[in-house]
Amino acid sequence: MKFLSPLPNFVTLMSQSRYISVFIILLSISNFSFAVFQPPATEDTYLGKVEDFCPKKLITSWRQEQTIEGVDIAASPVCDPDNPYNIAAFVKGTNNVSMATLMNTHLALDTLIKGKDIDGDGDPDEIYIRLEVLELNGFSPDLADPVTTYDIAPGIQPGFWAFVPKHRGMSNKSAETLVANPLIRLPSPAIRVEQGDKVFITLENSHYFPHSIHLHGVDHPFQTTKGEGNDGVPTTSNKLILPGKKFTYEITPRQPGTMVYHCHVQAHTHIMMGLIGMFIVEENRPNNWVQTFNVGNGFVRHSSVAVSEKYDREYDLQYQDIDRELHNIIQTANDSRLLAKAFNRDYNITERIPDYFILNGRSFPFTLRESLVVIKPEEKIKLRVFNAGDQLLSLHTHGFKPTSTHLDGVELKSNAQIQRDVFTLGPAQRVDLELYAHNDGLNNMGPGIWTFHDHNELGVTTDGIYPGGHISSIVFESFLGENGMPKTQGVDMRPFFTAEFYKKQYPVWTLSDDKKHYGEAFIATNKKNQSSDSEPINWTQTLILLVQLIVLITTVILVKRNTGKINEA
Amino acid sequence: MKHKKLSTGTLVALGLSIQSLYAVAIAETEKLSEPKEHSHMHHNHKANNKLSEGTCGSGMRMDMDGMVMHENIDNIPKDCAEISEEITLEIKAGVKYSEPYPGTVFGLDSHSWHVKPCARVTVKFTNEDEIRHQWMLHGLPRYLYPGGMFHIEANGQTTKTGTFILPSSHYTYLVHCDIAQHMEKGMKAQLVAGKGRKDLSSIPGLTEPKFADTFPDKTSTAVSTFRSENIE
Repeated sequence: MKFLSPLPNFVTLMSQSRYISVFIILLSISNFSFAVFQPPATEDTYLGKVEDFCPKKLITSWRQEQTIEGVDIAASPVCDPDNPYNIAAFVKGTNNVSMATLMNTHLALDTLIKGKDIDGDGDPDEIYIRLEVLELNGFSPDLADPVTTYDIAPGIQPGFWAFVPKHRGMSNKSAETLVANPLIRLPSPAIRVEQGDKVFITLENSHYFPHSIHLHGVDHPFQTTKGEGNDGVPTTSNKLILPGKKFTYEITPRQPGTMVYHCHVQAHTHIMMGLIGMFIVEENRPNNWVQTFNVGNGFVRHSSVAVSEKYDREYDLQYQDIDRELHNIIQTANDSRLLAKAFNRDYNITERIPDYFILNGRSFPFTLRESLVVIKPEEKIKLRVFNAGDQLLSLHTHGFKPTSTHLDGVELKSNAQIQRDVFTLGPAQRVDLELYAHNDGLNNMGPGIWTFHDHNELGVTTDGIYPGGHISSIVFESFLGENGMPKTQGVDMRPFFTAEFYKKQYPVWTLSDDKKHYGEAFIATNKKNQSSDSEPINWTQTLILLVQLIVLITTVILVKRNTGKINEA
Repeated sequence: MKHKKLSTGTLVALGLSIQSLYAVAIAETEKLSEPKEHSHMHHNHKANNKLSEGTCGSGMRMDMDGMVMHENIDNIPKDCAEISEEITLEIKAGVKYSEPYPGTVFGLDSHSWHVKPCARVTVKFTNEDEIRHQWMLHGLPRYLYPGGMFHIEANGQTTKTGTFILPSSHYTYLVHCDIAQHMEKGMKAQLVAGKGRKDLSSIPGLTEPKFADTFPDKTSTAVSTFRSENIE
C-alpha cells in the first residue's frame, strides 16, 4: 500500500513536519515572482540611409532668372528646377537654338520644329512635335533590378510608360548608371501650343506595345488632311501604331484651354501606366512664343503672353494614382507575349486598389524638391489642376481659398466662378484655379508654408504610410531656405527621406519620441536570449530561482529524513 | 516575380556582378592599353583635337538623320603597332528582324561579329523602322573614346556610318540599342575581337538570359484564370 500511494504519505509527512510553515511561505513567494508581467524592452531604431533634402549634384545656377537664346526664363527657387536650356529649346524650337544650347539638353535636332509665322504676328504658327513612348523601371533579363530607373519616393520604383519629347542618345543618364535621363519621367509632359497654330504631333512608337494619341478636349478634326484617323481611338478612328512605326496627328485648335492627351490603346491600362498628360492651348496674342513642353510639369518658367497679363506665375499640377499590381507587371517578365497576356487578360481593373499617389510624377517628400508652389504677398498665381488618376481628387489648400476660373478648359462666367477650399475632380477633369496671396482671411491667411493635398485620405499616403502620396506646399518666398528647402518647424523630416520608412521598418514617430512611448516592441526570441551579451540580468528573478532550488533540495532532504525516521519507527 | 526564385544572397551577388559589367569591361580594356610610348601619346592628342573640331565636340557629328559619337578614323590605339584589318559591317535594324526570335520586338539582322584586335571597323547602320535606333558599343579605351563608347544613332529610315579602331586586346564588346527596353526586347549583340572573352548573356539566338521567363502550362491556363477566381 505504501508503494501504491506515496503522495498521501508525503502529505502526511509534511503536515507532521515542523518545517511546514517555512515551506508554505517560500512556495508562495516563488509563485508570486512568476506572476510579474515583463513586457519586452523598446528596441533601438535605425533610420537607414537618409537622402539629402536636395541632392548635392544639382546645378544651382539653373535656379536663377536668366536669358538663353533671347528667351526670358523666370527664376525657380526650388531645389530641383527645370533645366533652363530645355526651356530655351522648348520656346524657340530645337531648330532655332545653337548647338551649344542643344548640347546642354538631351534633345534631338528634330524634337520640336517651329516653322513659319503664318499670320505675321511675331510668333511661329507651324509647330512640329515629336513624341516617343518610353518605359521606366522595366525588366532586364541580365539584372535582378529594374532598368532605366525613376524613383517616385525613396526606394519606390513602380513601372511606368511615358510620352517623352524625342531625345537623343541614351535613355540612361550615362553608361555608369541605370538612372533614366531627366527627360524620361512622369508625368507625360504638359504640352503648350497657341490657339490657331497648325500643329503636327508625330508619335514615334519606340515602345514594344502598340499605342496612340487621343487629343481629349483639344479641338481636332476626326480625320487628317490625308483622310486618316485623327482621334486616336482604335475602335473608331486610328489603327494601332505598332512598335517601330510613327503617325502624325494634325490640329489647328480654335479654342483655348487646359485639355488632355492620352493613349487610347487598351486605355484602361495604358493611361494608368502613365500615357496621359496636359495639352494646353494658349490664347492667341502677338509675339506669343509659348513653352511647348513643361517636362515634369510644375512651374512654367516661360508663361504665355495671355497668362502673364493676368498672373505672376503659373503651375501645372497633374495628379495620378498607382495600383502596384498593374505597374509591377513589366518587372515580372520580358517576353512580349507574356507581357501582353498579363496586361490585356490577367490584370483585372475591377480589383484595382491604388497604393501610390503622385503629383507631377513624385510622391512626398520628393514633391518638395520640384512641385512647391512658390508665391509672394499680393501675387496672383494660375494653377492648372488635372486629375489623371482613377480616384476622386479633393484638393484642399491650407491658408488659401482659391477661385475656379475654368472647368475642363472652358472659362466660367464670372457668376459661376467658385471660391472655396476644397475642389473635387473626377478622373480626367481639370480645373484652373486662381490663387491670390491677398491677406484678408478669405483669399489668404498670411505668409507661411501652406500645405495643399488631397482630402481623400488615401492620397496623402504611400503604400498606406503617412505622410506620403501627393502632399506638397504653397510656400511664401520668405519661408524658403537654402537650396529651396522650406523653413519648416514641424517634425524632423529625415525619416521621410529613407526607403526604410516607406517599407514600414521603423516606428513613424521615432524622432519625436524621446520617452519611447511609441517605439518598437518585439517578443524576445530564444535566439536573442542566448546570443545577446547586453541583455541585463534580472537579479530578483535569479535570487528567487535560487531560493526555490534551496527549498526543493531542503524539502527532499527533509522528506528523506522523515521517511527514514518513520521506517525506523 | 523573378526575385522570388533566388535567394537574396545570390541576387545581390548576381546584381553586383552584372552591374559591374560595364565597369569591368572598361577597366580591363584600359589595363591592356597602358601607355607604352610617349610619341604615341602626342599622336593621340593631335588626333583628339582634330576630332573635337566636329559639329558638337568630342568626335560627335549630328544632323537631322541622327548622330555618330566618338568616331575615330585615324587615331591608332597606343597598344597597336598598326591597323590589323579594315572591316566594314553592314548592319540592319528594325522590328522585322525580331521575327526569328519569339517574344522579342526589336531586332538586328545579326547579333555577333568577329574582327581582329587593332581592326579599323566601319559600321554602316541602316534603320528600317520609322523610329530611331542605336548601335552602341561599350568597353573601348577611355583615353580615345569618352565613356568607353562608340555610338551611332540613326533616325527612322536612315543609314548612318561611323568608324572606330579597336585596341589590341582579345575582348567581347557589348553592342546594344540604349533606348529604354530596346536591348531587353531584342537589340543586344556582341563584337568579338580575336579570341574574345566569354559570350554575353541574353543575345537573341545565341545565349541564355540570366533571368529567364517562366511560361504558363497550356493545360493549366487554357481555361484561363477566370475559373480559379470564380471558384475562390
